[in-house]
Amino acid sequence: MAGSNEVNLSESKRVVPLNTWILISNFKLAYNLLRRPDGTFNRHLAEFLDRKVPANANPVEGVFSFDVIIDRSTSLLSRIYRPATGEEALPSIMELEKPVTGDIVPVILFFHGGSFAHSSANSAIYDTLCRRLVGICKAVVVSVNYRRAPENPYPCAYDDGWAALKWVNSRPWLKSEEDSKVHIYMVGDSSGGNIVHNVALKAVESGIEVLGNILLNPMFGGQERTESEKRLDGKYFVTIQDRDWYWRAFLPEGEDRDHAACNPFGPNGKSLVGMKFPKSLVVVAGLDLVQDWQLAYVEGLKKAGQEVRHLYLDKATIGFYLLPNNDHFYTVMDEISNFVSSNC
Amino acid sequence: MDELLAVLGYNVRSSDMVDVAQKLEQLEMVMGNAQEDGISHLSSGTVHYNPSDLSGWVQSMLTELNPPSSAFASSSQQTPIDDPLLAPSESSTITTLDFSGSRQQSEHQSRIYNDNSDYDLSAIPGVAVYRRPDQQGDGEKSSKRMKTASSSSSSSTQQVQENGLASVAESTRPVVVVDSQETGVRLVHTLMACADAVQQDNMKLADALVKHIGLLAASQAGAMRKVATYFAEALARRIYRIYPQDSLESSYSDILQMHFYEACPYLKFAHFTANQAILEAFAGANRVHVIDFGLKQGMQWPALMQALALRPGGPPSFRLTGIGPPQPDNTDALQQVGWKLAQLAETIGVEFEFRGFVANSLADLEPSMLQIRPPEVEAVAVNSVLELHRLLARPGAIEKVLSSIKAMKPKIVTVVEQEASHNGPVFLDRFTEALHYYSNLFDSLEGCGVSPPSSQDLMMSEIYLGRQICNVVACEGAERVERHETLSQWRSRMGSAGFDPVHLGSNAFKQASMLLALFAGGDGYRVEENNGCLMLGWHTRPLIATSAWQLNSNFNPTSTSASTSAHSQ
Repeated sequence: MAGSNEVNLSESKRVVPLNTWILISNFKLAYNLLRRPDGTFNRHLAEFLDRKVPANANPVEGVFSFDVIIDRSTSLLSRIYRPATGEEALPSIMELEKPVTGDIVPVILFFHGGSFAHSSANSAIYDTLCRRLVGICKAVVVSVNYRRAPENPYPCAYDDGWAALKWVNSRPWLKSEEDSKVHIYMVGDSSGGNIVHNVALKAVESGIEVLGNILLNPMFGGQERTESEKRLDGKYFVTIQDRDWYWRAFLPEGEDRDHAACNPFGPNGKSLVGMKFPKSLVVVAGLDLVQDWQLAYVEGLKKAGQEVRHLYLDKATIGFYLLPNNDHFYTVMDEISNFVSSNC
Repeated sequence: MDELLAVLGYNVRSSDMVDVAQKLEQLEMVMGNAQEDGISHLSSGTVHYNPSDLSGWVQSMLTELNPPSSAFASSSQQTPIDDPLLAPSESSTITTLDFSGSRQQSEHQSRIYNDNSDYDLSAIPGVAVYRRPDQQGDGEKSSKRMKTASSSSSSSTQQVQENGLASVAESTRPVVVVDSQETGVRLVHTLMACADAVQQDNMKLADALVKHIGLLAASQAGAMRKVATYFAEALARRIYRIYPQDSLESSYSDILQMHFYEACPYLKFAHFTANQAILEAFAGANRVHVIDFGLKQGMQWPALMQALALRPGGPPSFRLTGIGPPQPDNTDALQQVGWKLAQLAETIGVEFEFRGFVANSLADLEPSMLQIRPPEVEAVAVNSVLELHRLLARPGAIEKVLSSIKAMKPKIVTVVEQEASHNGPVFLDRFTEALHYYSNLFDSLEGCGVSPPSSQDLMMSEIYLGRQICNVVACEGAERVERHETLSQWRSRMGSAGFDPVHLGSNAFKQASMLLALFAGGDGYRVEENNGCLMLGWHTRPLIATSAWQLNSNFNPTSTSASTSAHSQ
């Protein structure tokens, strides 16, 4: 292990820019400190280390944000990002929930990543990403501060996602002028991607229309050890061991990784055949050890007759979308933009 | 600075990038080889400081894992402080502070004083982990400082603020909407319209609107109704020019503050975090002297005194100088408080001395009056909880006071202030900011949960806050004393005046967080770390901030070890 460490470190260093390497290595280091072998999590240290940013009702580069409490009983908060219309220099309180203007205004329900245990809607990395999405998609972005594992395991994150979806769907001020409906897309990375899938299932069952799902490096898994997991274990910031830890933290006690939440097209998965499931864009990073599961997800959707666009980024590692310093970043942003606007 | 990392909250100089990467690699290597203990120690035993300073953070962990000499090894091998028992909360006016059980004497003593208290206030383990103050931010020129200060207020890309402190604050407006009800929105709308009318000097319109607010507020419930009522009253005063008399006795305002202290955690947080910094600064000193800029009922000090009493090796002798306003009936309120504290000191075996100073304003103080002993003799802490902002009402006052503080040669200066921008030049902006701020504050008071505040505490707290609202909205000039400014602004001011930050670490953070878990609506309260300072907020909105300071190295009094001295740039 000691010898191979060196090889691993310099390998990952070769495929990403230095600042990206530092950023993700820093997270890796911090996260290693936070996970305890007994399955508990050092939440205080996690919150201390996480770099957070406040919402900002003053527009910055054309985007302003504010936080809303969606459900007091669970302290479910979401951060809303809106484009500044430019009419007023500083949106006043009334402007915050002013009706959106436009025939079609996409509303993106965003679920941040963090393997179900880390990060928050107000984490700097996700605040930055959400702001970008506003501009790229000309959308309102609603970033859900869902409850995290291990304190709040399955199905809390899904419940929160569902609550947020219902909330968004029922906001009069988010309705597009054309059809007086809220045009909802769901976007999530890592565990957020997983949540997108599971909330979409709920949406279909309940008749709420979601126009599209975008999953960035979604977090899926299974009992089996796939080839990509074995090949890439420990090489690009992520290890099988840490993936296992997060699944144990999220899944119900006694369940294994073939639980439907982890392995939606596995032995316990639900069939999507005949369902009016939203079209999906699934982005897979070629250096992500979880890719075989992500590819299995894509295949599963296809087999069920669902519309899915699969984007495979050869030399991308996890977190490539956090900094705008690589080609993959721009490729994906373009794809997202096209995906969201293609309904017009 | 690497721009891209800065946006994400990490300050790394471009020239340091390779070095930081190397350190990360080293750490990876060392952690790979270290036993379980080593890593869990880093997680639970080590105190972390200022994660935004990536280079410093990584270095301090490397040092932890590879101590340069065995001399440090023993002091850094602290038994991990795992979550202490959380007993149901007792009345928390006096809270007992335990050191972690690594030393036998303190363990024995702690049993005597441990009243199943909710949390531990532990001294930092040792010099090895005590971070040097942030080298990167403050040594730079002040315009640069404003730029990096923006990373703490952290909107993604800040327009460069060239002119003055006010513009630094204006740049971030954190809003948490607590009430999306139809009536709530109309109420806010009307309040804003009224404030706007006042701003435009259209008093007829303002008058009509203020009456309308009353009607709307009546149909509202909870926090929003109360907030609206206070703001409406304040607007009415401004419109009719019936300014509130500041004739209320300070003892009454002290009582109000005490109820506020009981009802919610903001002041407890303030005292707790300030005490933590003071305790750490006092490590190794035999005589210590705290100068409290606003003694009031002295609620902050029992906890500190108890922590000092439990210090391994015995307590230092403790001197407290309490400053307070004159009493209309000439009672010596300060002495009364001093006397009570003296009684406590006696029971816990701490040598105690007290002096009270009456002053209309902190600017009236002359350091020589306080008879401060030289740094070799006594370690001085200057403590200001919600006092400094009042000085901004008179020109020159804050500068005078900061200068006086420097003359006191303190080892540490603790500053707690409301995290709000209520001192901008434009009335309407101040009004808007205050509306958001107090809405969130009132909302937190409503909090459901385990142990809601008593109705009397709640009511008095609302009056306490209502008076602040009145002052912010209705008063001007020297009367308007509630001139709250943000941490960013205070940072600039302290930096310019010749102070360097002293960072509060993960231990204080953790214990503050645990303290909060005991409060009604515990879920909503959040502690946040911000470039070495700690803030307490309601959900994502910080409402109060604690920062700690020391004199820039040129002034630094002799300290116990080299690593605590500041580095000038």
